[in-house]
Amino acid sequence: MRKFAAALAAAAAVTLYSFAAGAQTYPERTITVVVPFSAGGPTDTVTRLVAEAMSKDLGQQIIVENVGGAGGTLGAGRVANAEPDGYTLLLHHIGMATSATLYRKLAYDTLNGFEYVGLVTEVPMTIVGRKDLEPTDLKGLVDYAKANKDTVTVANAGIGAASHLCGMLFMSAIGTPLVTVPYKGTGPAMTDLLGGQVDIMCDQSTNTTKQIQGGTIKVYAVTSPERLDVLPDVPTTTEAGLPDVQVGIWHGLYAPKGTPAEVTERLSKSLQVALKDPNVVARFAELGTKPSPDTDATPAALKAKLEGEIARWKPIIEAAGQYAD
Amino acid sequence: MELLDNLALGFSTATSLANLGFCLIGVLLGTLIGVLPGIGATATIAMLLPITFQIGDPVSSLIMLAGIYYGAQYGGSTTAILINMPGESSSAVTAIDGYQMAKNGRAGAALAIAAIGSFFAGTVSTFLVAIFAPPLTAIALQFGAAEYFSLMIVGLVSSVALAHGSIVKALAMVVLGLLLGIVGTDIYTGTPRFTLGIREYADGLNFVAVAVGVFGVAEILRNLENEHERSVMIRRVSGLMPTREDFRRMAAPIVRGTIIGSALGILPGGGAILAAFASYTVEKRVSKNPGEFGKGAVEGVAGPESANNAGAQTSFIPMLTLGIPANPVMALMIGAMIIQGIVPGPNVAIEQPALFWGIIASMWIGNLMLIILNLPLIGLWVKLLTIPYYVLFPIIMAFCSIGVYSVNTNIYDLYAVAFFGFLGYLLTKLRCEPAPLLLGFVLGPLLEENLRRAMILARGDPTTFVTRPISAGLLFIAFAVLVIVFLPAVKKKREEVFVEEN
Amino acid sequence: MKPFTIDTTNGICAALFIFLGGFFALQSLGLEIGTAFRMGPGYFPLVLAIVLILLGAVILVEAVRFESEPIGHVAWRGMLFILPAPIFFGLTVRGLGFLPSIFLTALIASFASGRMRPLTALVLSACLTLFAFLVFSYALGLPFRRFGPWLQF
Repeated sequence: MRKFAAALAAAAAVTLYSFAAGAQTYPERTITVVVPFSAGGPTDTVTRLVAEAMSKDLGQQIIVENVGGAGGTLGAGRVANAEPDGYTLLLHHIGMATSATLYRKLAYDTLNGFEYVGLVTEVPMTIVGRKDLEPTDLKGLVDYAKANKDTVTVANAGIGAASHLCGMLFMSAIGTPLVTVPYKGTGPAMTDLLGGQVDIMCDQSTNTTKQIQGGTIKVYAVTSPERLDVLPDVPTTTEAGLPDVQVGIWHGLYAPKGTPAEVTERLSKSLQVALKDPNVVARFAELGTKPSPDTDATPAALKAKLEGEIARWKPIIEAAGQYAD
Repeated sequence: MELLDNLALGFSTATSLANLGFCLIGVLLGTLIGVLPGIGATATIAMLLPITFQIGDPVSSLIMLAGIYYGAQYGGSTTAILINMPGESSSAVTAIDGYQMAKNGRAGAALAIAAIGSFFAGTVSTFLVAIFAPPLTAIALQFGAAEYFSLMIVGLVSSVALAHGSIVKALAMVVLGLLLGIVGTDIYTGTPRFTLGIREYADGLNFVAVAVGVFGVAEILRNLENEHERSVMIRRVSGLMPTREDFRRMAAPIVRGTIIGSALGILPGGGAILAAFASYTVEKRVSKNPGEFGKGAVEGVAGPESANNAGAQTSFIPMLTLGIPANPVMALMIGAMIIQGIVPGPNVAIEQPALFWGIIASMWIGNLMLIILNLPLIGLWVKLLTIPYYVLFPIIMAFCSIGVYSVNTNIYDLYAVAFFGFLGYLLTKLRCEPAPLLLGFVLGPLLEENLRRAMILARGDPTTFVTRPISAGLLFIAFAVLVIVFLPAVKKKREEVFVEEN
Repeated sequence: MKPFTIDTTNGICAALFIFLGGFFALQSLGLEIGTAFRMGPGYFPLVLAIVLILLGAVILVEAVRFESEPIGHVAWRGMLFILPAPIFFGLTVRGLGFLPSIFLTALIASFASGRMRPLTALVLSACLTLFAFLVFSYALGLPFRRFGPWLQF
């Protein structure tokens, strides 16, 4: 028994030592960033761009691992249970906050299961409609939707998707439930919008900008506080009279609970450097988004954002009564 | 003459030394990884995608990615033919007769037929993409939920032709496949269905895991049955190249397969999948010897392989003209484009003509490289069959474990391989064919999704399926197929075939 | 009178389809069914499950009336070693790491054949592991850990 205790103590000492040493020399090997969605999606794109820039600053390779499934909760759960050594990180979007309500039992604790690194970016959303939809502005759209609430269809990319959240917010803001048509992913939803099979959708500017510019769909408003550089003529929801519909797909970088503070600080610094990388700035601009400023790319800012967003979405999701499990 | 100018621009882009090099590397890597047993197109592309991110020039990286795509598809067909291990839904059809040809010692011919069919289909559909991309897109957009549902019905009705045994068993396999395809979260309500409480199955069972299980693992077990009594893998390879008779027999199926594949490939979501199945059905119907199908019919390889490749090619149309992915591979392509700073959409052809036409031209070049590369390699692949089986199957099991795991890094997919290996083996022992099950598996979620969506969009009015002209036309085709199948004369002929079989 | 016989192959086949149909039907009943116009998550699978049971019944009738091919040999040894191989890989790929896991997976699968000698199996598995390392881990840089936490101190 004593031998065992001694061994345990020795093991603990070694662990402590390696932790301390690890914090000073971090990072000394390849870092893995888990994206809880499949390769090629918007979150994957954001991650790969940022990871490449961070890897330059940290002097270590960063591998992006796609662990898709169950609305991002599988990947988040994987990271929550990973070694808290700073070599496994999670880049997740707004779904981190909404799945806390959408899923009534999660394999991890959203608020207490992670350490925070910082906010990465906030991708704005656009309210769009099929090309030949009658109304020409957001006010007209709201009146039209209220007058035809049994026939106006709202597409979304599945429960928990950005478009689903924004659609719920839109309906709750105008106080009228419309006919919801779910799809498996943004692609098929956009196809049906282009083909005029459904009426409206609210989706990330990443997915809609090119179609809007090409004139194949109609745009009513952007859901960000300011107009977008890529769509300068499109009014914000505040300008167009629906200030409640403000939503952005914010992305945050997390580490497993127990990761040493020095490590998350180091990562946060690196994130701030990466977000000023000219390539990242340029690519983000093409997607209609901006990197978070230094003040937001911090652990405190991400924690505050997550807490605020969980509280904000909880009543909206509960009112809609739709859960993902 | 704008078209010629555009094509000239495309070819001058695609034939720059660097781009030719990237195209070659892509085709080569795609073939080499795709040909590993148990690793099909999706897994190959998921593995190789990050490499293309490191190429600075977007045109080059997309050309390489497209090369990987064709290479992986061809590689997937190769394993389907040699060891009955399809890596994706379309090569599941190739496996039916291709593997039988290989068993009869005609693996070389089967591979050559697949390569030649693919090349012809690739050539034709490249030009179709160049000429008809915009108008074809307009047709694809006419397809709403009702049309998709009717199209799936045509696919299901035709699936009876996939069977070469009892029709009832084939139908039961389709229905079982449909049910297995529905496993996962219901997109309309978010309710998890048949997942046994395992969240890892919330997005459904992985196609690769099911295909590897019911085809590949089941086949390994079958080969292990009679080890002591006889050597299972005696395969006298007779001639690597197709005979003159083969060429005569494959010409028409290749043309028909190309037409079917090109037409169905443009439909986003499931179109390309149906192409190979549809082509097989057509070939079996028009054949004078339908009894040969399932026993190594040349037509059963030539048609579906051409359809498969033509569909793969035309599935670029919605992506290039609308920015919409027709299948998971195209979704990966779009991701690659975005990372390279190109957001796909209706304006790509106008804003980036060199990129747009360069990719189209490289499709044809990629196909050309593929056939030049693969015809000589056929001898090598066939040699693989001379490896003793007891050495081959541990290799197969190892690679298919890696392949299945690498798609989603989901370990539950590996458990699914074991379960479906067992189920597949059991069903084979009970004389049930796996191909209809796989078709049902692919169509299940699409069928239900579109049925329910059509009903929502039509406010619960079921006449929507017959009042929309395209949908009505498709249902008419389905009805016609049913009549042909059950028409007394035809039925009698079918039964005669079975007598021959027994 | 003809004695009542049932064909083994088709009898088991029918039982399997009816069992699977029953499983899906029971599970569907636990879901919201809805109506034909507003289908719930259980509607479509319930219909399919009933069809599957009916098809199973048709096969059962055939089994009583006709005789078909016998089942033949069953690869017991194959099943014993082949089926656990991917499960083992799944259980250990994260803990042991990619390379030891793939080595043992190949080794387990090797014993499915009576012809495989232990030494050949070891050499084969080692070669496979080396190949997997060179191609997947080194050249393609797949994000798998080569040696997992179970093997580290």
